[in-house]
Amino acid sequence: MALLERSEWYDYTRMTNWTPKFVSEEEVFPAMHSGMADVPLSVFDSYDEPYKISYREYVDVQRQKDAGAYSVKAALERADMYNRASPGWISAAKLHYGGVPVVEYHASLMESRFVRFAKAPGMRNMGCFGAMDENRHAQIQLAFPHEYIDKDRQFDWATQGYRTQNWGILAARNLSDDMMMTRDVVQTAIMLNFAFETGFTNLQFIGLSADAANAGDYSFAKMIQSVQSDEARHAQLGTPLLKLMMENGHEAEAQRMVDISFWRTWRLFAVLSGIPMDYYVPLEHRENSWKEFMEEWIIEQFERNLRDLGLQRPWYWDYFLEDLSEEHHGQHIGTYSWRPTLWWNPTAGVSKNEREWLEEKYPGWNDTFGKAWDVVIDNMANGRMEQTVPGTLPVICKVSNLPVVGIPFKTAKIEQITYKGENIQFGSIVDKWIFEQDPERYCRTQTIVDRFLAGKVQPADLGGALQYMGLGVVTDPADDSMGYSWVDEYRPAAAE
Amino acid sequence: MATVPLAILFEGDFVLKLLPVESEDTMDVLAEKARTVTIGVHIADQPGKAIRVRKEGNEEPYPRDMTVETAGLTPMDGVNLYFE
Repeated sequence: MALLERSEWYDYTRMTNWTPKFVSEEEVFPAMHSGMADVPLSVFDSYDEPYKISYREYVDVQRQKDAGAYSVKAALERADMYNRASPGWISAAKLHYGGVPVVEYHASLMESRFVRFAKAPGMRNMGCFGAMDENRHAQIQLAFPHEYIDKDRQFDWATQGYRTQNWGILAARNLSDDMMMTRDVVQTAIMLNFAFETGFTNLQFIGLSADAANAGDYSFAKMIQSVQSDEARHAQLGTPLLKLMMENGHEAEAQRMVDISFWRTWRLFAVLSGIPMDYYVPLEHRENSWKEFMEEWIIEQFERNLRDLGLQRPWYWDYFLEDLSEEHHGQHIGTYSWRPTLWWNPTAGVSKNEREWLEEKYPGWNDTFGKAWDVVIDNMANGRMEQTVPGTLPVICKVSNLPVVGIPFKTAKIEQITYKGENIQFGSIVDKWIFEQDPERYCRTQTIVDRFLAGKVQPADLGGALQYMGLGVVTDPADDSMGYSWVDEYRPAAAE
Repeated sequence: MATVPLAILFEGDFVLKLLPVESEDTMDVLAEKARTVTIGVHIADQPGKAIRVRKEGNEEPYPRDMTVETAGLTPMDGVNLYFE
């Protein structure tokens, strides 16, 4: 029997809205889950997903993608990538694997909520495929690092990380909870599918893929391209929804969701992608600077998307453009300084050649962040290692859950409010604005410093804090990925 | 006497740091405690210069003999420190 073309049956089969008779519409689509309660159900019939696919086609394409990625992995397992790759690339891969795979499971749950609660039949359909996509992403990104565990236990953080209270995991989990798990499906789709996925995942999945290929890790590059090919499809889920919001009196809500999620995502990716691109990837393998990559791949495209939809650039746009040259530099020297708290061995990336590159890409780097590095390097070069890890914790932003950093002498600044008698610190004016949009949502967040001050970390010292964060439990506290060999050119003997 | 954790930013540093002090500590004592987690860690020393403390947003520093309690500092208040 001949099969019909997809275009001949698709619209009929996915139009699954009907008028409920035995229960109210509110019971079928509760406002707290489905959102846009004031907009009639019939309006959502016009939701037109830009990417249409049948289940048969989906399974066929996904099978081919998995076969491609896993066959490259199998072929390269004999190539001994782990022992041949630079320590910097290994750092980048471990940072990625510890932070990303389990969030993909969260995303699968998120897409599953779309299947049940989205009012638009097309969105429910796309959500179904999206949930399967995200499940695949979790599985493949757990499988790939698993082969390295016998060589390097830090790769086990892919599986173990989200079972710990590590500060980096708390930050990623907090973003996931805020944007993916605790809002109605409309807000979630705007924040995740539109802002996070169309806005940012290219960074991790194309930029890092290029760096991986340059560094010789072709299995990572292939795997990550495979993931991104799914993202490119289901990320489009939010765009038709935004059109419906704009046409039905929800412009302000749409803009607010974009403004919140773009910033939150930007700050997390500054750590996840910004640090590896500008510091971990070996100099000779760097494709672009982090800032150049943002400008080429993210900013232009995101601005165009906003304009096409009738949305404005976020109100903090100029501040954001300045932040491109700031945030990841501060987070890098911060994570490096508190390196025992990490699940990956960080690479300093501040040899003399690398500093020249940083100065070229970020004029003024040597006079700002470089000054702080001078002190760190001087301690290392003269054997004062105990001075290279601060004897206290950094202050953590209540919204991003990341250390509060800025450019020395310039933008490093205290942003504080008092809410219900509690002094709260923020990493920026935008994080403070986000908190003020919904203080009750954010005030109960327990950052790692909040937990420490509340007596949840025992014993209340560095050892206790490390153990609380999974160091000395899952793996030993992290240390310099190159065993400080890069310091040699700074040692007094080298200067003579 | 009670422990008061503060959020400190030393001029020239790139990061806010947590600093537990005692309510009876003077600003000079607070400054010396701040020195241990900032100077020679991320900021070069400036020998011979005093370290002053001021509340975020204030032009004038606190008097050096003023206590944390008298200054009205409460847990996680932000204070700036700088070489005079």
